[in-house]
Amino acid sequence: MLQQVATVITHHQQRLSIGSRVLAGLLGSYVFAWGFVTLVVALGLTQGADYDEMLTLAYLLAFLVYLCAFLWAFAAASLARVWLVLAGGGVAMSGVARWLTSLLA
Amino acid sequence: MPDSLLLGLALLSTLCAMGWLALGMNVHWQQVYGDVASSARTVRIVRVLGACALAVSMLLCLSSDHASIASLVWVMSLAASVFFVAFLLSWRPRWLAWLVPWART
Amino acid sequence: MLSSFRLSMTWVHTWFGLVLGYVLMVCFFFGALSVFDREIDRWAIPETRYEPQPMPSFDAMLQPIFRSIEPDPQSYDYAQDEVHGPLPPRESLAMSDVGAYTTHRDPVLDMYVSFDVPNKPKDANLDHVHVFGYATIDPRSGTVISNDKLKIGSEFFYPLHYSLHLYWKNLGYWLVGMAALTMLAALVTGVVMHRKLLRELFTFRPRKQMRSVLDLHNLTGVAALPFHFFFAFTGLVIFAGIYFPVTNSMFKPQAEAHEKVEELRTGLPHDPAHVAAPLASVDAMVAEAQRRWGERGMPGEVGFLGITHLGDANGYVSVYRAGTDRVTLTGQGIHFRASTGEVIREDPQPSAVAGINDWLTGLHLQHFRHWLLRWLYVLGGLAGCACIATGFIFFVEKRKRQHAKAGVSGARWADAMGVTAVTGMLIATGTILVANQLLPGDLPQRGDWEGRIFWLAWLMALAHAFWRSAPVAEGRLSPAWREQSWVVALLCTAAPVLNWLTTGDHLLKTIAAGYWPVAGFDLALLVVAAVAAYAARRLRRAELALVATAKPRRESLEAAHA
Repeated sequence: MLQQVATVITHHQQRLSIGSRVLAGLLGSYVFAWGFVTLVVALGLTQGADYDEMLTLAYLLAFLVYLCAFLWAFAAASLARVWLVLAGGGVAMSGVARWLTSLLA
Repeated sequence: MPDSLLLGLALLSTLCAMGWLALGMNVHWQQVYGDVASSARTVRIVRVLGACALAVSMLLCLSSDHASIASLVWVMSLAASVFFVAFLLSWRPRWLAWLVPWART
Repeated sequence: MLSSFRLSMTWVHTWFGLVLGYVLMVCFFFGALSVFDREIDRWAIPETRYEPQPMPSFDAMLQPIFRSIEPDPQSYDYAQDEVHGPLPPRESLAMSDVGAYTTHRDPVLDMYVSFDVPNKPKDANLDHVHVFGYATIDPRSGTVISNDKLKIGSEFFYPLHYSLHLYWKNLGYWLVGMAALTMLAALVTGVVMHRKLLRELFTFRPRKQMRSVLDLHNLTGVAALPFHFFFAFTGLVIFAGIYFPVTNSMFKPQAEAHEKVEELRTGLPHDPAHVAAPLASVDAMVAEAQRRWGERGMPGEVGFLGITHLGDANGYVSVYRAGTDRVTLTGQGIHFRASTGEVIREDPQPSAVAGINDWLTGLHLQHFRHWLLRWLYVLGGLAGCACIATGFIFFVEKRKRQHAKAGVSGARWADAMGVTAVTGMLIATGTILVANQLLPGDLPQRGDWEGRIFWLAWLMALAHAFWRSAPVAEGRLSPAWREQSWVVALLCTAAPVLNWLTTGDHLLKTIAAGYWPVAGFDLALLVVAAVAAYAARRLRRAELALVATAKPRRESLEAAHA
């Protein structure tokens, strides 16, 4: 009976773990890509580049970045590291972008 | 030369190129010639012929259209040719023998 | 995630491929049809079956028609929801911008008008909200074609492939975006899984069940890999503003500052002056634009003609060249002051980044004139469909025997969804074409009815697929594949026959006249019908073969138990 309970619990854990991995892949990568886009634009603006140009460049690269982040989310061994790097990295990049644009204003 | 003829020749060239490159692989050579393996010399020849035919095809595409379009036509013709050769190998492998007339059965 | 890199990538390929594959199928199939969307429009609206025309005279023909265009009721209602306070009456709205658009494949001219709305928008990110009015005309005579006539190609199939007709909160765009990302991921993970990529490039072993399905999946995936990758990627780039709306969130001040700089740099005023001004001869401006293109070594026809701030002192006329001979989008725009006709600006060569973007988006949006490349695109699109379909089939085939033994029905549902996504989709397509021929010509909102019939047919195909899927739970083939294939064959034969009966344009007539939009589509439909019929017969044999192999086993089991 204990063994059955144990199997059910590990089955649920597995489901949660996969679900979290999928969320990290989809959402975490999105946050990372968003951060990347804002950082590229902000960096460009500080160098005096044209807004449209930088946005176009950022968009061209964004989906390749997203793809790499997405695949890495599933290839990486540690789920915690995935969340940290993708969501954390994305928020960090976004933060730096925000700070850079505040310097411009 | 009218564009349609140039493009037709380009397609034919890519088709021959893929045929030669396929014949450069032992498994496909054997589909055409039975259990007789091809010689190292023949393999080299068909690979060179294949590469040349791909180059000829690219030149023909470029002579017909603006470079931005020609590159797309060429890449797509590669896809069409791979399909054609793959199906030919499955259903009419003997037809590929026409590409290596010097090889003995 | 799993014990090895390859296993993890396989997991992604299998599960994301399965779930998003149903959406991706729609994108690839209707995308393939969209290559010839204008031609399908000709088939669907018989009174537009004539040769494409150059942009007609603005002064003589377009100007009076623009004046007569009224705000579209749906657009008006939509705008009402977006603003504070009641809108002024529909008839009293003032025109702000107009545009006319044509291509080398369009006999008709698309015209639109944007009307100013004085109310403040509810969304703080928007400056104004506009109401739109539309008209499609025959450029030879100026006759207006009723908006009730649905352009099944460019206004149904084409938007279906990028938005799933699901506009609530851009949900359709997001689903398609996820599907596109899945395509990119599936290609990369597929390459990781398929170690003998180049060695097995030409490998296709027919008549070997699962091996053949997998071979075909690999062949259609690898041979057209650049196509699949680029189309998914460029599709995402085209809608990047929806997926990463950074302009309206983080960079609003920078974007606004940029617009002001642009205004000064280009001399094209962003806002009207609210001072009335006459309109000089637009035909003269068009002639000047064509002269300038000729001087630059790129003579061409007008693709898009637009007037911004109509009737205002800040008004300007923009004339764009139809980019039929190259991949990059309509460009080489020349802008004139509306009141005097003097040239304000000639659009310069795009920068490197903009040029790359234009080439990428241009290769997806296909404004170019090149029949071979278009057909090769259709081949690529259908290869993508075949790749996805064989993927579904392989998934089910691999699991259905295990599931049958374990008494689990997962494979059954996946198979039913597969039928819905493949033959069901074809049934819906065939049905809208047949409905297009059968519905009364003057039925009000005829287009809306055609749309409803499309979705209803697909829903019925889904119900049928699920109803007939029981054999899959026992490890056999669902008869739904065969039955729906017969329905496809029937519909795709009926459509050209009905075309003949209702319009008199039968194949002998259209081929003799060289009218390929209609002849080509009729022929394509008949080819699909033939393939569907052949498939149905092969499926019958496969079903019987499976039953035959199942029987001896059961008999031997019974003998063992006796």
